[in-house]
Amino acid sequence: MPKNSDIARKLEEVGIEIDGEVDSAQENSTPKNKGGKRTATEKRGKVAASEDGEDEDEDDEPPRGRRAANRRKVAQNETLEEDSDDDIPPRRCAGNRRRGKPGGSAAESGGGGKPNKRNKRGGKKQKEDKVKGKQDEKSKNSRYAGKEPSTELLFYTAVAKQFLRFSTKVDVSPLCLNSVTIDHHICLLAPSRGTVHHSFILHPSIPYPSEDSKSERGGEEEESMSEGERAQLMEEVEEKKKLIANIRNKPWRMKRRLKHLKEAQLFVDKFEGALGKGKGRKLYAYKVMMMKKWIKFQRDFENFKTACIPWERKIKEVESHFGSSVASYFIFLRWMYGMNLVLFSLTFGLVVIPELLMGLPYGSIPRKTVPRAEQATAMDYSVLTDFNGYCKYSALFYGYYNNQRTVGFLKFRLPLSYLMVGIGTFGYSLMVVIRTQSGLPMSLRTQSTLADRMAKNADVGGGDGEDNEFTFAWKMFTSWDYLIGNAETADNKYASITTSFKESIVDEQENQKDENVHLRRFLRVLANLLITCTLGGSGYLIYFVVKRSQEFANMDNLSWYEKNELEIIMSLLGLVGPMLFETIAELEDYHPRIALKWQLGRIFALFLGNLYTFLLALFDEVNAKLEEEKSIKNASIWFMQEYHANYTANHPNDIGTPPPIDPSDVIRGPCWETTVGIEFVKLTISDIQVTYLTILIGDFLRALIVRFLNYCWCWDLEAGWPSYGEFDISGNVLGLVFNQGMIWMGAFYAPGLVGINVLRLLTSMYYQCWAVMACNVPHERVFKASKSNNFYMGLLLLILFLSLLPVVYTIMSLPPSFDCGPFSGKERMFDVITETIDLDLPAFMGTLFSYAANPGLIIPAILLMVLAIYYLNAVSEGYKNANMELKKKMQMARDEEKNRRNNKDSTNQVLKDLEDLLPNRSNLPRPGEQEEKPEERKAPKVKPGAAGKGINVQKDVSLALANPNTRGLMTQAPGPKPVGRLPGNAGPGHKGAAPPPSH
Amino acid sequence: MGSRASSLLREEDIEEIKKETGFSHSQITRLYSRFHSLDKGENGALSREDFQRIPELAINPLGDRIINAFFPEGEDQVNFRGFMRTLAHFRPVEDNEKNKDPSSGEPLNSRNNKLLFAFRLYDLDRDDKISRDELLQVLRMMVGVNISDEQLGSIADRTIQEADTNGDMSISFSEFIKVLEKVDVEQKMSIRFLH
Repeated sequence: MPKNSDIARKLEEVGIEIDGEVDSAQENSTPKNKGGKRTATEKRGKVAASEDGEDEDEDDEPPRGRRAANRRKVAQNETLEEDSDDDIPPRRCAGNRRRGKPGGSAAESGGGGKPNKRNKRGGKKQKEDKVKGKQDEKSKNSRYAGKEPSTELLFYTAVAKQFLRFSTKVDVSPLCLNSVTIDHHICLLAPSRGTVHHSFILHPSIPYPSEDSKSERGGEEEESMSEGERAQLMEEVEEKKKLIANIRNKPWRMKRRLKHLKEAQLFVDKFEGALGKGKGRKLYAYKVMMMKKWIKFQRDFENFKTACIPWERKIKEVESHFGSSVASYFIFLRWMYGMNLVLFSLTFGLVVIPELLMGLPYGSIPRKTVPRAEQATAMDYSVLTDFNGYCKYSALFYGYYNNQRTVGFLKFRLPLSYLMVGIGTFGYSLMVVIRTQSGLPMSLRTQSTLADRMAKNADVGGGDGEDNEFTFAWKMFTSWDYLIGNAETADNKYASITTSFKESIVDEQENQKDENVHLRRFLRVLANLLITCTLGGSGYLIYFVVKRSQEFANMDNLSWYEKNELEIIMSLLGLVGPMLFETIAELEDYHPRIALKWQLGRIFALFLGNLYTFLLALFDEVNAKLEEEKSIKNASIWFMQEYHANYTANHPNDIGTPPPIDPSDVIRGPCWETTVGIEFVKLTISDIQVTYLTILIGDFLRALIVRFLNYCWCWDLEAGWPSYGEFDISGNVLGLVFNQGMIWMGAFYAPGLVGINVLRLLTSMYYQCWAVMACNVPHERVFKASKSNNFYMGLLLLILFLSLLPVVYTIMSLPPSFDCGPFSGKERMFDVITETIDLDLPAFMGTLFSYAANPGLIIPAILLMVLAIYYLNAVSEGYKNANMELKKKMQMARDEEKNRRNNKDSTNQVLKDLEDLLPNRSNLPRPGEQEEKPEERKAPKVKPGAAGKGINVQKDVSLALANPNTRGLMTQAPGPKPVGRLPGNAGPGHKGAAPPPSH
Repeated sequence: MGSRASSLLREEDIEEIKKETGFSHSQITRLYSRFHSLDKGENGALSREDFQRIPELAINPLGDRIINAFFPEGEDQVNFRGFMRTLAHFRPVEDNEKNKDPSSGEPLNSRNNKLLFAFRLYDLDRDDKISRDELLQVLRMMVGVNISDEQLGSIADRTIQEADTNGDMSISFSEFIKVLEKVDVEQKMSIRFLH
């Protein structure tokens, strides 16, 4: 339809005039509508109908999406129109013609078209708006055509309606795309070149290239920047590049230089791509997009990483309700779980599983068979819970393992592996504990979530959180996290704010306390005396019970209590002891943080005492067992000799078949290793039971009673005597630490113990989290536990060392049992190592090791180690000092800055005085400048740079002043030189007073 | 129909807003789309209910105070200009702004103005002083009923005691500034545009 395209062209040419015309002819526009295919009223109805629906989801769409949607709509419209009439060729050609029209060639359209458009800015804008209006109608994107469209909009929609009939034929979008994308930073936004590249959002309804015509337009787009513009841009980019190249030579301060450098680089980055032909531009767009995606990916990945930390949410929840100290227990628990998981995989992967899979099966040899005498009761529940019967002869315990040098087709050296895993357990634990102890605060800090970070930010923002003077005011004004939009998080935040307030209150109360010092001292001494007595008593009790249990061991038909007396007493002591200590600690009236340390130390002493008494008693038992074993060994050797003698007597030609005895009938030794293992497993199990029962009864039942009996009770149970339990941090931590100590000690003799412990920690995590949230109330005296984690680690290290001792002692000095365990038949357990060296490694290695084991080498090695420790210690000391020094410097710098800010006025006064002394007049504008800025005086404490122009200007002025001064002096006659030197010094001096010169 | 021009974002408007608030073009358009999406009544102005629909504000203990800050005295509608004027307090401070011309006065996003905005949140009766009662109200909003009134009172007392320098038992704006001197307000009270 050439006619249509003609009209379109004309319309394009006379843009404004037609607009006016159309406006006046709005009434009869409908009849003019060609073919009446779509009447304006229809359109409007449609718009209205679809408005509400589409508006909303579009609003939520990001601009990019919206743009895409627009584009899609245009495309839809086009395709819709394509099947109407015969419009395709004309439209195309119209579009082309029109595109070509301003200049004729594409290049010309770039060159000539632009100024034109620029000149007719108003017209062009209207054109755009027209298109916008049209688009509003067409694509029903009614963002700006709300219920009460503006007058302008009305006008434009009217125009658009007029225009509509052409637009059904003629695709205007390419044109206005030109005008938008082409010069989106030149025409529309000429003044603000820096912000252009989002500007398309400004015209959400401006049509974007439809799919089919995009490629053809792509070429056009880059051409479309006018030559002049391009040249100018090029020039600017060049300029910036030059700036970057010789910014070093500029007589600016470093800060300013950096700033300019950054700006220039940004600019070049932004527009170099825009200048490139086709590819450069696209590449730039691509780069930007990828950058955004990358940032988003990083953020998501961070979120993912946080989500991957097990129990993080749970712990945070607890933390927000009970404060950081309770949370620190759970973090510790989680850490323990991780460590035990590693130990578990070591033990099971290298010892238990190989033995089960590749070793001899159950029942094949005496050590893997239940003895005949026990077989009747071996499956009884009571026997199994004592870890006798089948349990005793299972892979859980040391005795089960065979002393075969290699097992399976892999020739797995099981005994060696057993020893190595035993040592490796300690090695790994030691490494991890030490590393964590030094690194934990850091790692904790990095793990902190948003809320924490906010809190930390507050600290960081204030320099030192510790010594600031506005604790309460800060909490008051800055504690809420304004980004919280989730009700649950908000609850947690409320709770944590409350907690932090309470912590501050407690600290405050502690600070203000003044009391009778003598009474306090006396009470503290008394308390310590009482506690020492308790400790001694508990030690004696345990020793007594262990002795008694040895007597019981020789007796038959014991009651259940008599059999489990030791465990019960130990657990009870562990239960009662801490409570007793806590009661006694009331006398001392320490700050909760200090009280916690004391409490921990005392419970530690109690547990340790108990454990070591238990161990000593156990050693007695082991020695007794060893005696017993010796006799049995002799007996069995004697039996074997007898047997062989008989055998060879009967069958003189045949030697070496084993006696045809069922493995369960063989006489066997007591196998003290298994006994020790069983003791530890029993202790662990009873510990678990007691812990869980305590929680169930002491916390849950108590909470139930308090909660529900409160309805029918004489006094207020919740506020009064029983009330709800508090979470006992010290007790729980020490329980955990000692449990771990028992695991370390027992793991060598009972490989299954680690598995039990892993299960225990896992259930404990859920169980205790539930219990603490369900039945406990936050501590009345809340306090921060920022450094407690380190303290726990210290305890753990100590207990690790203490549990290492007995195990190493037994490995090194006690002979292993002759008929059970992987080391049976050897003089000492570590003989496996020498055996391996002798048999498996080449001979020279053996000699090498024998040299290495020479005391002549070992003593120097130890000396060297001591020296190294000394050296490292000294170095770290030095670093610490340097650190302190730097910290002090920072503090000083901060103070200085603060002073400067606070005393701006007075400083300026001094400056003024100084400048008044100057011989030349270049400081004259200064007072004027000062008067110009009266608001400065009002707010003298504003940070420089942030607060805005006033101060900066002043700074600049002072900068500018300093230079003229010196320059002026240099050009001056040499006469006043001695005087001139003074201002020369003063110049930098007062410059320093504004920003310190030392920077 | 017959509406005011405020519902349409025009070039001139943008220019003016830009001049007034210092936001960039893209930021204005972005905020306009946000404004529009908040505007459920579709009348080119936001009411208090529109603000209360934002979950972050609904949950915030100071949410009402923040919403109030958007509304000029005695009005219950805010148009885009007013919206932007309030938001301008939260515009990040840019580096290149430091050496702008000094004639235009202090920008809305200066440290002082940011602090003033925060101060107004606490200054319920707009007498340019935060009194003990005002602090108590805010505290109650923040910690709910978890802390006894007595303790809340002591917290408020303590806060004032810390901040008050002239002994009038209330916190004036200059005292407020002093308290938050070390807080990085420029960074904290800034909308971070993701671009």
